[in-house]
Amino acid sequence: MHIDWAALGVVTVVSIATSVIFTILLASGIRFVSAAKIKSNEGGSGAAIISIGYVLLGIAGLLVLFGIYLIVPQFH
Amino acid sequence: MTELFVVITVIAVALIFDFTNGFHDSANAMAGPVATGALKPRTAVILGAFLNLVGACLSTEVAKTISGGFFDDSLITVPIILAGLVGAILWNLMTWLFGLPSSSSHALFGGLIGAVVVGAGLASVHGWVIVSKVLLPAIVAPLVAGIAAAWATRLAYRITRKTPSVHTNTGFKYGQAFTASMVALAHGTSDGQKTMGVITLVLIAANLQASGTGPQLWVIIAAGVAIGLGTYSGGWRIMRTMGKGIVEIETPQGAASGAATSATILASAHLGFGLSTTHVSTGSILGSGVGRGAEVRWRLASRMAFAWLLTLPGAGLVGGLAALLADQGVFGVIALTVLLAGACLVIYVLSRRHRITHANVTDSHEVLVLTAATPTTYPDDPRLEAPPKPKKAKKPKAKSAA
Repeated sequence: MHIDWAALGVVTVVSIATSVIFTILLASGIRFVSAAKIKSNEGGSGAAIISIGYVLLGIAGLLVLFGIYLIVPQFH
Repeated sequence: MTELFVVITVIAVALIFDFTNGFHDSANAMAGPVATGALKPRTAVILGAFLNLVGACLSTEVAKTISGGFFDDSLITVPIILAGLVGAILWNLMTWLFGLPSSSSHALFGGLIGAVVVGAGLASVHGWVIVSKVLLPAIVAPLVAGIAAAWATRLAYRITRKTPSVHTNTGFKYGQAFTASMVALAHGTSDGQKTMGVITLVLIAANLQASGTGPQLWVIIAAGVAIGLGTYSGGWRIMRTMGKGIVEIETPQGAASGAATSATILASAHLGFGLSTTHVSTGSILGSGVGRGAEVRWRLASRMAFAWLLTLPGAGLVGGLAALLADQGVFGVIALTVLLAGACLVIYVLSRRHRITHANVTDSHEVLVLTAATPTTYPDDPRLEAPPKPKKAKKPKAKSAA
């Protein structure tokens, strides 16, 4: 009888870490983009903030692409 | 000739299993986005069906064995496969009737194990493998996904605390749509190949295909279409339980639970500890509810946990009974098929009493089977025209006048 505790531990850590990182990227991206929109509505320039927001959302998007890479067996 | 008949029957039954697999698991990916309105119900199931079909066609490495290590591969015969499939289909339909998500793979393993026990005795089943591949993952999956979703949800709310909800709603809905699509695609690649494996195994056993070769093109397409159609048909009863029944899902929470579901499924598929998609996504939704501090319906959650525990023995019992018939040659197979069709029809008729469709999936959180099962009833229930029991009829009576 053999239970792969090491694999179980790795799966646990990676699952939780990835979920949290993805959510932080998504939520912060949304927050920055929203803040930039509000700022430009008030007459200021939100260019710097909005680019930070899009960079964060872009990284979240890369995570999604990496997920698709993992799912599609032809890629690896 | 009779052998060909049996082979065709088994292939048909395998495709029916694939269909139930699709509609049973449709909610795993799409319940969240449907509940928050990130995707319209119809759009969600069309997207899910398409991605399931694509996923099924992508999967190249078809499982060479379907025994999963629960018993010796040499024990697998065509009648046992048929009986196992019947057990899995009936269990899937019964849990669907009650709107309970449960693992289709556990149902298939349960059905096969039951059939093997009838054919070769209890000693032929490796009990420890059941503990390590069924019991342990069934506890671990909701825990891991639940913790991930709870943390992610808490962070999502904390980070966007001061952001206007117009912006958070749009943003998180996009996130939800993407993660749900990933889950649907991953589901196609993993569950689509299960049916392909079964059909290929049957074809090889009947000497219609050379041993050691992969699935033929028509098998791939048929399995992909069956699971896609199943997903498209929606399994709205389970969709309601997961999207509305366990906890009310808000958009940021839905995005966080979607992220937890796809992360956990991908990690488990690629890092060597297999977890059931159903258990993972249910755990995520539960965890996201806890993370938001929402009111989780624990009674429903415990009923689900009970159904998970019963999946293997329940499908096993049906599979075992089916094996008794399937072993009786061609007439047994015919009788079994007729019984299966009859049972499916009965469950379908029962489900019509309280229909749940794409139009009303998010209207309520309850999945009713019989009026007697719960004191509340729907106002549009035709049976309310005649005055029912005086105590329970108060509210519905007033509404049925309209």
